[in-house]
Amino acid sequence: MNTRLSAVIAMSSRYGTVARRAALAVVVVWLLVLPQLVDTYTLVLATQALVFGLLAVGVGVLTGHAGLATMGQVAPYAVGAYTTAWLTRHDITAGLLQLPAAALAGALFAAVTGIVVIRARGVVALMLTLAVGELTATAAVQWKEFTGGSDGVSTPPARIFPGGAELFDDQDIYLYVLVVALVVAGITALVLRSPAGLLLAGVRDNEDRMRAAGHPVDRYLLLTYTGAGAISGISGALLMTYARYVSPQDVGFDISALALLAVVIGGVRSTAGAFAGAGLIVFTRDKLGNWWPGHAPLFLGILFLIAVYLLPNGAAGVAQQLRSLADRMGLRVPGLVPRTPAAAGAGDGTVPASGAPVPEEADAR
Amino acid sequence: MDWLDAHLIPALDGVAYGMLLFVVAAGLTLAFGSGGVLNLAHGTVYAMGAYIAADIGDGSWGMLVLALAVGAAAGATSGGVLAVAVAPVARRGHLDQALLTFGIALVGGDMLVSYFGADQRQVAVPKALEDSVTIAGHQYPTYRLAFIGVAALLAGLGYWLLVRSTAGAAVRATTDDPEMVAALGLSPRVVHTATLVVAGALAGGAGVLGAPIITPSPETADTVMLWSLIIVVVGRLGSVLGALFAAIAVGEVQTLGVVLAPDLAPYLLFGAMGIALLVRSGSGILPEFAARARVLATRARALKGGGA
Amino acid sequence: MSLIRRTRRRAAASIVLAAALVATAACSKDSGSNNDTVKLGLLVPLSGVYKSIGEDMKRGFELYVEQHNNKFGGHKIEVVVADEGEAPGVSLSAATKLVKQDKVAAVVGVSSGAAVAAITPMLADNRVPLIGSGGRPNLQNIDRVWNTSWMSDETGAAIAKYVKDTVNGPVGIIGPDYQGGQDQIRGFTDTFVKAGGQVANSGGKPTFTPWPGTTNFLPYLSQIAQSGAKAVYTFYAGSAAVDFVKQYKQSDAKDIPLYAAGFLTEGATLAAEGDAARDIYSVLNYAPGLDNPANRNFVSAYNAKHKTQPNLYAMCSFDAGSVLDRAITAIDGKVTSEAINNAIRGLGQIDSPRGAWQFGANHSPVQKWYLRQVRPDGQVLSNVVVQELATLGS
Repeated sequence: MNTRLSAVIAMSSRYGTVARRAALAVVVVWLLVLPQLVDTYTLVLATQALVFGLLAVGVGVLTGHAGLATMGQVAPYAVGAYTTAWLTRHDITAGLLQLPAAALAGALFAAVTGIVVIRARGVVALMLTLAVGELTATAAVQWKEFTGGSDGVSTPPARIFPGGAELFDDQDIYLYVLVVALVVAGITALVLRSPAGLLLAGVRDNEDRMRAAGHPVDRYLLLTYTGAGAISGISGALLMTYARYVSPQDVGFDISALALLAVVIGGVRSTAGAFAGAGLIVFTRDKLGNWWPGHAPLFLGILFLIAVYLLPNGAAGVAQQLRSLADRMGLRVPGLVPRTPAAAGAGDGTVPASGAPVPEEADAR
Repeated sequence: MDWLDAHLIPALDGVAYGMLLFVVAAGLTLAFGSGGVLNLAHGTVYAMGAYIAADIGDGSWGMLVLALAVGAAAGATSGGVLAVAVAPVARRGHLDQALLTFGIALVGGDMLVSYFGADQRQVAVPKALEDSVTIAGHQYPTYRLAFIGVAALLAGLGYWLLVRSTAGAAVRATTDDPEMVAALGLSPRVVHTATLVVAGALAGGAGVLGAPIITPSPETADTVMLWSLIIVVVGRLGSVLGALFAAIAVGEVQTLGVVLAPDLAPYLLFGAMGIALLVRSGSGILPEFAARARVLATRARALKGGGA
Repeated sequence: MSLIRRTRRRAAASIVLAAALVATAACSKDSGSNNDTVKLGLLVPLSGVYKSIGEDMKRGFELYVEQHNNKFGGHKIEVVVADEGEAPGVSLSAATKLVKQDKVAAVVGVSSGAAVAAITPMLADNRVPLIGSGGRPNLQNIDRVWNTSWMSDETGAAIAKYVKDTVNGPVGIIGPDYQGGQDQIRGFTDTFVKAGGQVANSGGKPTFTPWPGTTNFLPYLSQIAQSGAKAVYTFYAGSAAVDFVKQYKQSDAKDIPLYAAGFLTEGATLAAEGDAARDIYSVLNYAPGLDNPANRNFVSAYNAKHKTQPNLYAMCSFDAGSVLDRAITAIDGKVTSEAINNAIRGLGQIDSPRGAWQFGANHSPVQKWYLRQVRPDGQVLSNVVVQELATLGS
């Protein structure tokens, strides 16, 4: 599946970085002033979308960047959530302590389970991670002292600092979650853009060559898996901050599947895309779904069908369509000028969007 | 002897249940393994067949046959729809297929429940199959016993069709090398569509036959989907015999397994699947663990020897 | 590589931006609530595994509201329906919508105990009462939680003595391995053992089957048959109940008398089980054949509207309407969440299809439990009342 994924990128448009940064800045400002723009319930949904989006970021790191499609990121997410619940019930309510603890717990969990998972590729990896996720949820049902069993566990509100005010107001919770999500997503994006990210891309696109060149590929993958575990752990901690409740059914494979599909909708290698996909799913399920109670799955299904046909390259593909539209209209907007094909195509190892066949992956090594 | 007597029924049931799972997963084995389509709507097609069985079946053999025909036809139609739907994304990899087929599954599931209702349904079976028979002093459901026969027949037929027949050769060749198939004058697209149509018919027919055992309800599709995925992946994609062995293994794990290791019961299915995948992936982690353990043991012996 | 990544990020950002503008435009109004109208949130499962039960609950509550012309105590009633879904987290999201967007005065319904556990802290924060008509877990704070249904451990406790007295020998006990199931089974086992009953299962402990996911009960049933049990007591609901009952009649255990918490043969499950359910004894706080005026009215009205007999789930939600009607009628002044909660506290006996009951100290009914048996009632199988068992609740 890994090489297949690289094709999803396909040809992208060549906008200038100025336009990109301006758009990102607008989005961040919009997110910051959102509490002034929308009603309380929509704000709660936005919070939910951010937390779910952060879970999807972890999935995206593995699926898009490491080439390991995963159905098991709910496992470190669950570990992070239950760790946070445990801390809160033992009067460690400060988010600034809970977040690193949840990240550490998620990372440790991933480091241990990763030893097994990183050996597999493609569908086998998908099923192995599914097993990890389901076994973790089962353990959460059984280990009642720690998890509260199948009825789940509720916690009192968290605080940001030790001794600070309780995070109770929906606006405060939203802003706290937003800042944490932005910081974690920012760090993730920076790491992926660094030389370490390039090494990872090399493993994904040409594992054999990397191995032949003497790169400790397994170590890279385990490290990535551990990092994704930390991200998901933080996401679990934030779940406890806004929902203050978690149960084994909330960390089941349907959540994993939705997180994976959020990433596919958003574009497998885009951090912002992961949030966009997650936001679309939450908005569809919990906002549109309320128009006809009981039929949220129908709305989600329609969303997926629309996404697969109209966003052939994930959310990112839309930009390409905009560009070709601009080209056809003879527009030459500064910053929207396409780079020359030679410069664009050189060395990025992608295939054109027109759909040249991509070699089928082996399902296991 | 007592031990054997106590575990006879679970062991037999493991085989029967495994056969049921094999039939349940047969459509996906073909669609995913040979057609290359990760069809996440497989469970929904099965559920459709099961609801059809509940609606049409009235306990007579004639109606059972009719239900089987209608279920298979409906499944075949859904396979055709799937073939058309996946064509535009055929080159985009499994994740986009997953997005598409999961979308179809959600929409289809909503339509099924809207049409057939949310209630669990009663499924009438012919009188001769309704009760139980006595085997070595134990009661066993007649229908399940009959199912072993049906499944064996299906496995034999599937193996012959896929591995021995010309049609099967075309299907396999289309997966491996579509250009070559085209050069032989066969349209890869027609072969592919036919594969998905047959896979759909298998899923719909399996729903009709499985309905008396797995009661049709809104959760049927999810349950069946998960089982089928496990069986197809553990049994190696596209291998009929592999799927058969995987299905029987899963069946035994869920019957004999829960009796032998009741404390581990909740973990058994996915635990066993994980281990099976690790063992199967050959160069995987288990041999490495074994090798490391051997090295450690050697070192330990050496240390001991040095100390003595 | 970095170029591609940059453009993708840029592209994704433009999507987020576009979506953001749409979302802002779509969601920027708070809906207020009219003073004369009281909004009630009905939270029941309308999708997923429990949809069948959710529909029964919805029918029961809406029947009460319709019978009273959408008016409780002179106030117009507006019912906002939301989907409880399958996972408690989804229920919490839906309940949050009812409270924060629709600003309902009270929430009604909720089938799963785990969902109740998930939403009650949020409801308490917003001082909104829950009139639950489904499962009820152990909760720390029940100030604003009222159940018209049952406590999970009462069902088994009500029949334990009867089983002990009737069955001559050890009893096999089996149930699903989740909190509600464990509570149900514990209620039976504790009272049964205290009354001198003997548990047939190996180790003297009930057997719990993995949940969710168990669809094949034959291995467990064959074990129970070998244990020498003279009777079996069980609790299952929904599809698991159908599978259990059908397989029971085909297993080694088929001749062993089966006693159950009434959910095993309630509502749609009974119809799906068909003849396999015949003769099963069960315990519940309701049966459609109960002979009292309130029940006759309820059954005929329900039957006229839905062409089927009502069941426990419909009845408890019908009673939730009754509780809210009485409470809102008793309020002198503005109808607020707080006023409703206080008024419920002051309610006395509630006339109900199950017979009169009242809230006990744990905010659940003090009520009678009945022994029922599945027998033909005209054309269809029904749960026919055999005798009264006990009055439980405190």
